[in-house]
Amino acid sequence: MKLDVRGEICPYPMMKATAALKKLKDGDDLEVVTDHPPALSTIPWEAAKMGYRAEIEEAARSEWRITLRKAEGALDPMQVMSQLSDVISRAS
Amino acid sequence: MADVALTSKAARWANGQALLGVFAAAALVWTLVGAGAQGLAFYWIMGMAFGFVFQRSRLCFTAAFRDLFLMQDGRLMRAVLAGLAIATVGFTVVMMDLLPRTGFGSVPSGAHVSPVGIHLIAGGLLFGFGMVVAGGCVSGSLYRVGEGYVASWAAVAGMLLGLELGSHTWNWWWSFSMGGGPVLWLPNYLGYGGSVTLVLAALAALYLTVLWWESRRPPLLAWSPPREPASAGVGAHLRSEARKVFVHGWPALAGGVALAGLNILLFVDDHPLGVTGELAVWADRAAGLVQLSAPPFIGEVLAGCNLVLMQGASWLTDTFFLDTGLVFGSFVAALGAREFKLRFPREKRRYLQSVGGGVFMGYGATIAIGCTIGAFFSAIPSLSVSGWIFAAALLGGSYLGVKALRFLP
Repeated sequence: MKLDVRGEICPYPMMKATAALKKLKDGDDLEVVTDHPPALSTIPWEAAKMGYRAEIEEAARSEWRITLRKAEGALDPMQVMSQLSDVISRAS
Repeated sequence: MADVALTSKAARWANGQALLGVFAAAALVWTLVGAGAQGLAFYWIMGMAFGFVFQRSRLCFTAAFRDLFLMQDGRLMRAVLAGLAIATVGFTVVMMDLLPRTGFGSVPSGAHVSPVGIHLIAGGLLFGFGMVVAGGCVSGSLYRVGEGYVASWAAVAGMLLGLELGSHTWNWWWSFSMGGGPVLWLPNYLGYGGSVTLVLAALAALYLTVLWWESRRPPLLAWSPPREPASAGVGAHLRSEARKVFVHGWPALAGGVALAGLNILLFVDDHPLGVTGELAVWADRAAGLVQLSAPPFIGEVLAGCNLVLMQGASWLTDTFFLDTGLVFGSFVAALGAREFKLRFPREKRRYLQSVGGGVFMGYGATIAIGCTIGAFFSAIPSLSVSGWIFAAALLGGSYLGVKALRFLP
């Protein structure tokens, strides 16, 4: 499923992403496109609490694609976030 | 490798745009100094510095209050508290110089100390509610205007409307609450030493309270863009250091500290930061075009935070350059970080929501004599009791705002 929250004001990108995750079918991924930089830390965080892992890639200038995928078993949000920051710093 | 080449080309383009902005700003400084207006040039530079810090650190007062409820996240609030502690020490040194002897009922000129009363609580509740609904307070919306958030332009328009409505009812509020409200400046009761100790202890206690509030969940990590590949050499090292300042987002704490430093510098010059007064002037001038100006205010006014409009006076005041500098500084910072983009809300009702939130904020800021900057971030370090009461009301208003967000899909 794709969710486009470009242009949205704070905190709607995060609120809409969590609302979409609640409606997501089992086994489906959620792809969120955002141009709101603070959402890059809030969306993966809220998603991790719901058992989703996040991947972030820069889609265009000031636009990012966050892919949220259901993880096996329970997730430790703190661990997810630190892994994410590793991925981001290694992405170069 | 192609990606790296593309990235560096994009980075050069961004640097070029930001440099153009810096040249334009410098040309204005040159013009002002040439016209003998060194003071205005100083405020323009300070406004730009505030805008730069706001954009780089994204220190958003709205999120500081809101995210305590929305995500149980206190990162920004802790940064604000740290900034307040630093500013408290700096402001006290400035005030000790301005007014060495306390206890006689007088207050140092320029300090943000305003009367306490129902108006302050009502203003804080309205402002806190409005800023959450609009997605940014006054300073927050101004720096987002510079980043290209079109909804923030609507919020600023709403604020102008709310400020003008407030100005029309100012005299009623003055006779009802402000005029008779006590002006409580802590050093008149506790001296400087006792006041600073009390304020710092209260800020430390709140810091710990926020940590406790967050303790059931670990802290959010800030996202920063991918780092450039590490390469040897002084040039590469300098470039990577520069990217930390101009491209990567700053930690919120760095923003809080930098804002406090800039605010102390402003107070050393004359008076601390206040952003709503200038907007109120714009609103009243606009209303004047259709013969709807507010009646003259009774009572005192506080520079930077409420309507100070002299007939025939120039547009080009210190607060004009602070506010416009803030927007332009944020714009230049966003260009350099490749974060400027016109962001149009897809849903038309969002414009209405931003305007509505802005009206609440504008009205609240008028009757509270200031916003999150003037009546809070500049008031608590001024050792004024009013800053604390406004902060408590802001917290209540934000809570109501978060509740309202759930009904505004």
